[in-house]
Amino acid sequence: MSASIAPECNDIKEKYDTCFLKWYSEKYLRGNTTSNECEELFTKYKTCLNLALKEKGIENMLDDARKSLKDSEAGKS
Amino acid sequence: MKFFENVFTYDYSFPAVSLAYFLRYPNPYSRHVLTTDVIDRYVDPATQRLHTTRLHLKKSKVPSGILKLLPKGIGGSDNSGQSYILETTIVDAKEGWMQTESRNMEWTGILSVVEKQFYQRQPLEGALDTLEGLSLDDRRSEQTTVRTTVTFRSRFGQGKLLGRKKAEPSSDHTGDYEEEAPKRGFFSSLSTAGIQRTIELIGLNRARDAVLKSKQGMNVVLERLRSGGIVGVLEGMRQDREAVYGPEGGPWKRVWLTGNGHASIEDDDH
Repeated sequence: MSASIAPECNDIKEKYDTCFLKWYSEKYLRGNTTSNECEELFTKYKTCLNLALKEKGIENMLDDARKSLKDSEAGKS
Repeated sequence: MKFFENVFTYDYSFPAVSLAYFLRYPNPYSRHVLTTDVIDRYVDPATQRLHTTRLHLKKSKVPSGILKLLPKGIGGSDNSGQSYILETTIVDAKEGWMQTESRNMEWTGILSVVEKQFYQRQPLEGALDTLEGLSLDDRRSEQTTVRTTVTFRSRFGQGKLLGRKKAEPSSDHTGDYEEEAPKRGFFSSLSTAGIQRTIELIGLNRARDAVLKSKQGMNVVLERLRSGGIVGVLEGMRQDREAVYGPEGGPWKRVWLTGNGHASIEDDDH
């Protein structure tokens, strides 16, 4: 599996990724789009990741990028 | 602005291709990709579409051709050799398509690169109208087409990059380049436009190679998926890492072993 930018999050990321792949291939692609069995793992992973992004100062850059992404999406429709 | 466009057909079903997209790093052609994280992911309750935002950290250098064009101090100062890419994807499993968008997050004033892809299932005659999950064996003949468009835009010489003062307060809209140009004289505006075009061309030339490599990487992942399922892909990833760094790991060892829970070289676990 691909590594996380924050080595301390690798453990939880691995668990989340594994859960997602199983859900995506066995549920989502088969039309069961409502289940969210990986939500708890994702919340834990995000908590770990967000802390690291803040420490690395990536958060602001990410916000800017998201904004320009939204703008371009708004321009599309 | 410059564009690159390419259409390619994978000899794999849409479910397999979309799964491979999420699983594509690491592969033998992605050694420049250091890390991948999921920033956001949800299923839109109205459309049932899966939205994903990921952050990739890639090894990259500002091409020397571009560095030469930049004033001293710009471009050369950042020698981390790494850059962040933001990737968004939307999957519609029912309709059998996926759209992706990747963009660089730094240096956008010098060169902004936006790659968009549209993957679409090519239903075969007589095939069922619905997707039935990961049909890796029984639908070998199913195909998925992907259209890739990459846009290059340099705003070099426009606004704050060169420390040029914002002209009049009235020109606070984005189109001020065109309006300012005549004042700066024909030759200086020509050279700014020329530099922008050169930067965009350098980006374009690099993109051809990058798009080819990512296709090759996807095909490796798809082949592993076909022959060994998800387990086969994960095993392939492990072998890729060993091939690069040996069984002992190398730079990967710390992140990978920690991630795998086998061992931890750094003792910073809480």
